[in-house]
Parts: sequence; C-alpha cells; structure tokens
Amino acid sequence: MIRKNQILLIVFVLLFSFSSAVALEKCLICHSKTDISKTEETGRIVSLYVDTTIIGKSVHFNKECTDCHNDINEIPHKNVKKVNCRRCHYSGNPVGAPEGVLYDQYEHSVHGMEVLRGNEKAPVCQDCHGNHDIFSHTSPESKFYWQNIPETCGQCHLEIYTIYKESVHGTASAAGNIDSPVCSSCHGEHNIKKHDDSDSKVSTFHISETCSECHGEKGVVNKYGVKTDRTATYERSFHGIAQKMENKLVANCASCHDYHDIRAENDPKSSVYPDNIPVTCGKEGCHPGATAQFAKGQIHVDPKNEESGIIYYTAKFFVILTVSTLCGLFLFILLDLFRRAKNARQKR
Amino acid sequence: MDKKQENLNKRDELVNKLANNIVDSATDIVKTEHAQKDINIIKEDIVDKLRFETSILLNEVVTKISPSKTIAEITKKTERSFERFGKNFRAQHMLMFVSVIILIITGMPLKFPEYNLSKFIIITLLGGLENSTLIHRIGAVGLIIVGVWHLVYTVFSRFGRRDFILMIPKPQDIKDFFHTLLYFFGKKSSGPKFGRFSFIEKFDYWAVYWGMVIMIGSGLIMWFKELFPKVIFDIGREAHSDEGLLATLAIIVWHFYNVHFNPEVFPMSWVWWHGNLTESEMKHHHALEYAEIIKKESEKIIETEKLKSASEIE
Repeated sequence: MIRKNQILLIVFVLLFSFSSAVALEKCLICHSKTDISKTEETGRIVSLYVDTTIIGKSVHFNKECTDCHNDINEIPHKNVKKVNCRRCHYSGNPVGAPEGVLYDQYEHSVHGMEVLRGNEKAPVCQDCHGNHDIFSHTSPESKFYWQNIPETCGQCHLEIYTIYKESVHGTASAAGNIDSPVCSSCHGEHNIKKHDDSDSKVSTFHISETCSECHGEKGVVNKYGVKTDRTATYERSFHGIAQKMENKLVANCASCHDYHDIRAENDPKSSVYPDNIPVTCGKEGCHPGATAQFAKGQIHVDPKNEESGIIYYTAKFFVILTVSTLCGLFLFILLDLFRRAKNARQKR
Repeated sequence: MDKKQENLNKRDELVNKLANNIVDSATDIVKTEHAQKDINIIKEDIVDKLRFETSILLNEVVTKISPSKTIAEITKKTERSFERFGKNFRAQHMLMFVSVIILIITGMPLKFPEYNLSKFIIITLLGGLENSTLIHRIGAVGLIIVGVWHLVYTVFSRFGRRDFILMIPKPQDIKDFFHTLLYFFGKKSSGPKFGRFSFIEKFDYWAVYWGMVIMIGSGLIMWFKELFPKVIFDIGREAHSDEGLLATLAIIVWHFYNVHFNPEVFPMSWVWWHGNLTESEMKHHHALEYAEIIKKESEKIIETEKLKSASEIE
C-alpha cells in the first residue's frame, strides 16, 4: 500500500514539474479546503486555506500562485520560504510592478535594519501589507487604509496602540476624521526611524516640524478651532530657540503634550490640562521647582497678538521706544555732522 | 642763524598769545563779579605775574625741546589737563563695558536664532547653549556689581554725590537742546555753553540708568523664573529682549559716534583710560565748568595775595 502511494506521488510530481505553468485551480485542489493547516516548529497552527474571493479583489488578482510562491515545485511542498516581494517590486522590473524610493526606504528604516540584523520579530512587507489580502490603500478593507493603520501597527505595538486609541488623535480618526493623524502621519511609512535617530520625523530636532504640518500656520487644525500658531510661538519661545541651538535637553512638543497620549487641553487627563501643568513643567531635569504659581499665564505666547494682553503692550511699547529713540539719535548725529562740515568749509 | 631768530620770534608770539588769554579769562571773571577797584588792581598784578612766569616756563621748554618742533606741538605738551573721570569712575566704566560686551555676544544670538552667525557664535564658538547661558550669567553678575557699586559710589563718594546732583536734568537742558538745534540749522553762530554735564551726557547717563533697571530686573526674573508666574516671566523676557536690542543699538549708534566715529575723536577718545581733558577741550565742551574752575583758582590766588599783603602790613 505504501509503495503504491509513493509511486503515485512520484508520477504526480513528474507531471507537475513538466507542466510549464501551474494554474490556480491546481493549487486549490488542496488549498480551497477550509481546514487545511500546518503546524510550525513553535507549535503554532497556521491555516493554509486560500480564499479566492479575497485574492480576486486584491491588487494581485491576475497573478498566479507561483508568481510569488516561486520556490514551490513539488508536492507536498518542502522548505517553503516566505514570499520575497522584491522579486517583482524592484526598479526596472519587466512586469510593471510598482517600485520606487519607498521600497528602498524600507531597507534603511528601523524595521528593515532589524530584519537585516536577523530579528525574526521585525516586520517584513507582508506583516503590514497583508498576504493575499493586499488591497489598494483607498479600499477600507486594506490593512493600510488610513483608518486601519493604527490597528496594523498595533499588531506589534499593542501598548502604544491602546494609548493612542484614547488620545485626541485616536478618537478623532476612529470617528472617521481623515484629518486626524494615524501612526504613519507622524512616524512616516516606509522610512520609519527610531525616535532617537536624528533622521527620524519624531526625533528631538524634527518633531516640531512634523507637528507643524497640521498645527503650523497653514495647518488643517484651523478647521476645528485649534490654534495654528503653536509651532511659530514654540519656535520663538526659549525652548524653540534652544532647540535651534541644538540643545537636546530642552522641551519639544512631545515633552509637554506627551508622545502618544496627546489629549485636548480641556481633558482632565491631559498633561497640559491647567491643573496638571505644574507637574508637567516640574519634570525631573526640567523645572523641578515649578509651582502652581509658575504655571499661571499663557504658554504659547505671541507678543505680536493682541490676545497676549500685557505682553503685547510691552512689546508695542518697546517698538515705539526703540524706533523713536534711534530715529532721534540718527537725526541728531546727521545734523551734527552737517554742522561740522559747514564749520570746516567756513574755516577754509 | 635764521632758524634761531625764527624760534625766538615764535616764542615771543606765544608768550603774547598766552598772556592775552589769561587777561581775557581774568577780565571775564571780574566782570561777572561786578568789578571792584581793588580787584582790578590785584588783577593787573596777577596778569603781570603770570606773564612773567609763563615766559620763564616757555623759555625753558622751548630751549629744551629741539628747534625742529613746531610751536603748536610745544603748546600741546605744555597745555594743562583737567581730570574729568576719577579712577573709581573709570574702573566702573571698564567693568561695565566688559560685562556688556559679554552680555551682547551671548545674548544677541538668542534674539536672532535663525541666522547662521548666531548659530556659529553659540554652537561653534562657545560650544553650545549651556556654555553661552553660563557666560551670560557671569556677564550679568558683572553688570549687577557695577549697578550696586555705582549706587554705593553715588551715596558715599564726594565726587559721586557731586556728579549725581549735577546729572539731575534742569530746564536749562531743554533750552540747551533747542539752542543746539538752532545752531545746527545755522540760526545761531555757536553752540550752547555747557557745565560739567551737557544735556547729551545727561541723556546718556539716564538712558544707561533705565537700561540697567530694566535689564537687571527682567534678567533676575528669568534667572529665578520658578519663583514667578509665567505671565511675569513672559513680560520680563519681552522687555529683556527688546531693551537689550535698544541698548545695543544705542551703544553702537550713539555712544560709538560720540567716542569713536566723531571726527573730533576718531578713532577713539582715550578719556575712558586716562580720565583727562585738555584745556582747549574743557573750554570747548564744558565752558561753564572751565570758567568756574578758573574762577575758583583765581579766588584762591586772590585770597592768598590778600593774606600775604595783610601779613606784610602787619
């Protein structure tokens, strides 16, 4: 019996290896069974069921199984490797697969670097983009449809995901506000770097720039009644100036507003809720002596804005004082010089 | 032979010139004092004496100095000097300008952080913000010391008290100001005559006074910011930043014009170092003070003459 089976199998394999193209149907003989699965060395049971409706809707609907699973040439398959997307997605590929700088960026990102270093937990393309369920990013079913991104990242970054979900950005994006940032809005997509990497969009010296994309002068937050002078006022504050002078200790946006737990200022859990400001300012290494008194007054102050009250009038006063004094002095000097010249001419 | 004769002629000329000067100033004094016959007689005596003494002095000088020197150079060397700033006051000024230069170098880049020069000064030259703020605080301590020192000097030093009283603005200063304007526009043939401090110098002094109060006050608020509400800090910061710029510009435009770029003193007036004015400078810039000094001196001479004649009679 065993022999018969083995002969059958050899015939089957021979037939397979002679056929030039392997049709989807052939694979589906086995893979359309919903209970087909394999057990990994770690004990994890992985379903091998392939849902053709999903593939049919995906961007790879017209691809053959072996276009990606190119190392499969026998049944049962041995040593099946993870699919390498770069087989098609490289610059100058003949099949017209999208390629470009994004694909190169990944290799230099924190994820790509970890993969190169041999970290098995680090994500490769499929971990974020899906396997058979790769849909266009405009499709709400896609793993990287904007609203699904936090969940996709949360597969690994679970703790941050739960914090983000409760933040002002997380609740807004969950409610369907496309202007609200998801993970990739701040961290980037394929070019994600470690937060202490100076090239990172969220590093000390770049974070205010990143926040200013929305909270800056032309920022989208204006629509929602959130002030757009936040980065400009930060840049003019001592913190902002110190940051320009490449001081790493000084506060940036996230130092006060928190990293993922960013909340509206009227949320009592917010780090910038008036009652919490003394604690936020009084952090170790910042202003340990800060009291409730210290926190009295506006934080993002614009001396050019009349709303700043006494600070606005102080600035105005000094502008008038400086301009009038200097004009007077210049005029006096000029008159003095003219008179001297006149005296010199008379002497001659 | 010709040269010797020429020098002698020049000497005589000079003697006459000086004698005339003295006579003139003496008559000025006497006029103001409502001349009395006695004083007139004594005046003539003084003139005679001075004429005699100066001629001896000049004789010595001219013979000692090589004949190639011009008379103008000789007179310059023999010219009397008047102390304008004492050692104490000069030391105050020195500590002040050292502090202020330190403060401007470490402070201005933070007012204009977007310029590469600012980044160069703070990051490259001074090695980062932590160094530059430390140096700024050292300069600040220097400035505070000058402030306290000057207050102590004003209260406890005789010269300090005298100068402070003379510094107080008076209606005459406004008159002098308009007189100067009229002079600039050619409506008057000469500028006003000033005492020890002209209205310009008074303006300078009080401008520095104001600047010191604002800068030290707001600077201390920022230094010990944890003790104050943020709104006070913000006012302090705005005032510090703006007054800092105003003071810097005033120094560069006004003070540097007066003591550096003015054609009269270019490239620099050395009074900050030696503290002295020459007689002609005194006459020109502080005519009233000069007249007062001469008056006091001649009163002293008259006094001693009187005493002498009294003792002779006895």
